[in-house]
Parts: sequence; C-alpha cells; structure tokens
Amino acid sequence: MAVETTTRAKLRWGLLDVIVVVFALVPVLWIASLSFKTPATLTDGKFLPREWTLENYRTIFATDQFVRALVNSIGIALIATLIAVVLGAMAAYAIARLDFPGKKLLVGVSLLIAMFPQVSLVSPLFEIERQIGLFDTWPGLILPYITFALPLAIYTLSAFFKQIPWDLEKAAKMDGATQGQAFRRVIAPLAAPGLFTTAILVFIFCWNDFLFAITLTSTERARTVPVALSFFTGASQFEDPTGAICAAAVVITVPIILFVLFFQRRIVSGLTSGAVKG
Amino acid sequence: MADIVLDKVSKRFPDGTDAVRDVDLEIADGEFVILVGPSGCGKSTTLNMIAGLEDISSGELRIGGERVNDKAPRDRDIAMVFQSYALYPNMTVRENMAFPLRLQKLDRETINSKVEEAAKVLELTALLDRRPANLSGGQRQRVAMGRAIVRQPKAFLMDEPLSNLDAKLRVQMRTVVSRLQKQLGTTTVYVTHDQTEAMTLGDRVVIMRGGQVQQVGPPQELYDHPRNLFVAGFIGSPSMNFLHAAVEEGALRTALGDVPIGDRLRRELEAADAPRELILGVRPEHFEDAELVDAETGRRGLEFEAPVEIVESMGSDKYVYLTVEGERASAAELEELAADAGAADLTGGGANLVTRLSAESSVTEGETRRVWFNLEKIHLFDPANGRNLTLHEGRAAGALAG
Repeated sequence: MAVETTTRAKLRWGLLDVIVVVFALVPVLWIASLSFKTPATLTDGKFLPREWTLENYRTIFATDQFVRALVNSIGIALIATLIAVVLGAMAAYAIARLDFPGKKLLVGVSLLIAMFPQVSLVSPLFEIERQIGLFDTWPGLILPYITFALPLAIYTLSAFFKQIPWDLEKAAKMDGATQGQAFRRVIAPLAAPGLFTTAILVFIFCWNDFLFAITLTSTERARTVPVALSFFTGASQFEDPTGAICAAAVVITVPIILFVLFFQRRIVSGLTSGAVKG
Repeated sequence: MADIVLDKVSKRFPDGTDAVRDVDLEIADGEFVILVGPSGCGKSTTLNMIAGLEDISSGELRIGGERVNDKAPRDRDIAMVFQSYALYPNMTVRENMAFPLRLQKLDRETINSKVEEAAKVLELTALLDRRPANLSGGQRQRVAMGRAIVRQPKAFLMDEPLSNLDAKLRVQMRTVVSRLQKQLGTTTVYVTHDQTEAMTLGDRVVIMRGGQVQQVGPPQELYDHPRNLFVAGFIGSPSMNFLHAAVEEGALRTALGDVPIGDRLRRELEAADAPRELILGVRPEHFEDAELVDAETGRRGLEFEAPVEIVESMGSDKYVYLTVEGERASAAELEELAADAGAADLTGGGANLVTRLSAESSVTEGETRRVWFNLEKIHLFDPANGRNLTLHEGRAAGALAG
C-alpha cells in the first residue's frame, strides 16, 4: 500500500516536473532551433532544423553593431552589479545590526523605489540625463540600474546578515578589530553566499533591462544588447532578420548562464556552521 | 595584567530599565572573580560594560588605574570568551587564534610561536588546521580560550563559557579553567548562573540580584555567613531550608519545635525592632539522624520527629526529604529563587525539608524518624527585607550565641 502510494506520488511529481520544465524551456529551445535554421527553412514549423547552419551567428558577429552592444552590456551590468552589491552590503549591514534614527524611513523609502513603476520615471530621466550630459553614456545607464537594484540588494543582504551570529562581531571587536575590520574580515566572508546571490540577481536585472536602455541611449556608445537586438535589420531592407535575432538571443543568454554557474559554486551552504554552539 | 575597579557603575537601557545599579567592585590584579546570579540579574551586562561592548550609563570603570569608560573594546586590551564561543567559522583553529595577533600587526614568526605555545597549553596542537565546524563542543571551547590567552591581555572576561558543555565535560573544563588562570595569573572576571562553578572556581564571588550586588566574598564566607535571604538561598546545593518562625515567650516557635533564643540574639532582636515573624534557615548538612548523634553533640542542637518522604542515597551520604507541618516561609526573595529554579509551583502544602544525613543512617522511606539539627548553625532572617539577623560583625553565630 505504502509502496504504491510512493510510486504514484513519484509519478505525479515527475509529470508535474516535466510539464513545468517543458513549459519553461520550449520557447528557449525554439529560439535556439531557429538560430540554426537557414532563411529558407525558417518558417517550416519544424522543431528540429532540417538544414543546420551557423550563418546567423556569423552574421551577427560580423556586424560591429552587435559586438559593440555586447561589450556595453557586459561592462554596464558588471559595474552596476559591483557598485550595487558594495553599497547594498553596507546599507544592509547597518540595517541588520544597528539601531540608528531613520532606519524605518530608509527601509520604507527603498521599498518605495522598488515598487515605483519604471515607465513613469523614464521620461523625466530622459530629460535629466540630456540636461546633465549623461544621455547615451555608460554612467547614464549604470546610475538608474544601481538605483533600482539597491532595494533588492539591501533586502536580500540584510536577511543574510541577520543570520550571522552577533557574537562573532563582538568577538572580533574584543580581539582588537575596528568596526571596519570586523566587517571586512569576519562578517563579509560569512555573508559571501548572500553577496553572490545578490550579485546574480542584480546582474540579471541589469542585463535584461530594455526600458531604460532604449530610452537613455541613442547610439552604439552605450546601447546594450536587448536594444541592439530590436534595431537588427537583415542584409537587405527586404530580408527578415529573424535568424540573426534568434542567434543574438541565444548569445546573450550565455553570459547569464556563465555568471550564474560561476557564482553558484561559491554559494556554499552551511558556511557559518561551527561558529557558535550546536 | 591589571586591576579592575567598578565605581558606582550603572546601566540604564534606552527603554528605561535599570539593568545594573551602582555596582562597586574592586578586582585585584590576578584575582579570579565570579559574577553569579539568576538570569536577568545584570551579571552579563556588567561583564559587557567591562568589555566595552555596552556603554556605561553612569559611574566609572578603571582598568589598571586608568579610566576606560569611553575607550573602545580594542583599546582596553582585554580578552573575552563567549558563551557561544563565537569562533570564526571561515578560519582554521590556527587562524582563529592568530586573529587578535594579526590585528596587532605582529610579524609572522611571533604570531606562529605564540599560537603554538597557546595551543600546547590547551592541547590543541593536533587540531590547529581544522575548522571549527569539525570540532567537538569541548574542543571549540578550548579554541575560544586559546584565542583569549594568546595575546596575553590585561584581563580575561568569560561569559558563561562552560554552559554549553555536557555535565561531565563541564566538570573537566572547570579544572582546566582554574589551572589556566592560576598558571597565567591574569585577572579574570567570570560570569555564570551555576552556583557550583561560582563556589569552586573563584577567589571571590559576587552575588547579584536585580542589578545590585548582594554580597561579595570568598565562596566559603558566602556559604557560612550569607548576608541575606537571597544569598543564603542561592548558594548551596541542595539549597538551605527555610521555615517560618514566630517569636513567642523567649523562644522561636517553628515546625521543628521551639528553638531557644540566646541573650545576644534577644538583644539584637529587640534593638533592631525585629518583627515577631521570622524566617529560620538551616542547611541540609546541619541535620543528622538522631541515633547517630552522641550526647555531647546532641546538647548543641534540637531533635524533632518527621515523616520521611524520600531517601536518596548518594553513597557518601543520604539526602532525606522530610515533610513537616506548619506554615511555609514566604518572602519575595524566596519566590524569586524558586522561580529561577523553575520550581515556583512545585511545593505542596506544609513545608519540605531537605536533609543530608550520614550514610550509616538506617532511615527508610515512609517511616517517621527522629532527626537532630545543629542550633549553632542556624540563620534567622527578617522576611520584610531579607536581612540575616544572626550575623555578628559579619559572622553568623547561630541562635544560641552569647
């Protein structure tokens, strides 16, 4: 009886898992499949390409447009992630550990920023950036990215900091550390899983953004990949660039996957075990 | 190494609670002082103030003659062992112990030799390259001690360092701590809620209650001459028996019979305008099976009869629980002690006596036994303020004295 139940439960869960995975992955696989098709077979509706070709990839890397956008994307996302995580870590540490005046206000305001619809900010940001000369520059995108990533960073990180036993910090202070040393040498290494998790989330947010990128850029100087993709044209005016767009779409998922895989190794659970009793 | 002086040190938290009130304490250079009391008595707060982890609301703290109220912990040169050990999990044992030295910017060789030396003292040499997660509780505790001793600070502060160990290991570590402190001769302040640790470890014991110091003294003095009801009830295991006593016609009427009052006590009672109702305190070991008491000793005490409820044979002696009729002693201090022991609602009607009789006693459960108790060793307390009325020049002399 019990065995039967578990097999049935296993089957049920297995079926559910398959449905979820298929549902999530079919569009991605479809895009990947399209990117390997020749223009002639592009619309044949077959899931597996009948004729394999790398032509689409050659096309996108041949144009300076895409490569330049890729560089912009990587640069902007990395810098924004770094700054957001460092600032977020300091803010989150203060929120988790200290009782300072205006703490609730700070948390409230950062929550407000996270809830604010980005669309409503795009026009004013466009005007402001044009006035102060940030329009179509890297900092012009990095700044709004940091602004919108910080609440996320602060929330995830303060949750991580709260888990670290406070005694460790006291011990570091007794051992002769300044507040800064205690943070850098004891707390931050222990919060590393949290820092990496946050970094991944912030990086994905920056990497995927389209709204800010299309509004606040106008040339290849700062245009990121999602935007560059939308500007793709075929070899001639009458050729459909579907194949190239698909190839580009596949290419831009690669850095995300690499980034996640790289940092996932660092997210070792149970890093704090052994610090305090039990 | 240095002495530590607390001069009217108080701690008031922002929410208005007074955690520590006007604590005066002078800890001599090299002394081992224990702060003990029930939970919430302010002992840990006091320790944290000495450490510099809590601000001092008022009063002055001097270490080595120097006022350190406003100094950061790192400038006070004192080491602390935490109840939770607080080892850095991302570092090996060696790195943990080297951490304070590295912060002092010592060169690598000095650090290494000091760590090795401390590791040898604590028998940690084989474990130096392990991480805290791979150590047992006792080993972690020793690493925490090692981290404290390695830089030879002016003083050690220990916040219930043994309370996370199992009973057997605790006894073992107690001797380790004691030996280490004697060997190093470093001023040590040790916080515990365990009165056995307090009795066995310290040169002097400070008993705290509600943020105030109740009594300071060597363990034996606290045991023999408790200044008040709270100290009497807190020190000693099993704890002192308390019985209601009424002053009537030159004697004390108690559940154990009429206790005669000596002249000196009578004068004292009159002078102090003492109440008619008192609390009688007798330690378990001051009872004895009446059969085993010789005539001469017998004259110094009193005999009574009581039904035997439970006999616990400890091998060396017997703990005998007796039931006696009569009113139970009641005072705020006693209720607090009972609450701390978690036994507030355990006592039934009448009064229970815990007695420690000789192992030779043939006492059995269920019988009614004649038991003798030593009148020279009894204490009398004022239920209103808990004061010990039998103290003379700081010494208790029993009810019959003078």
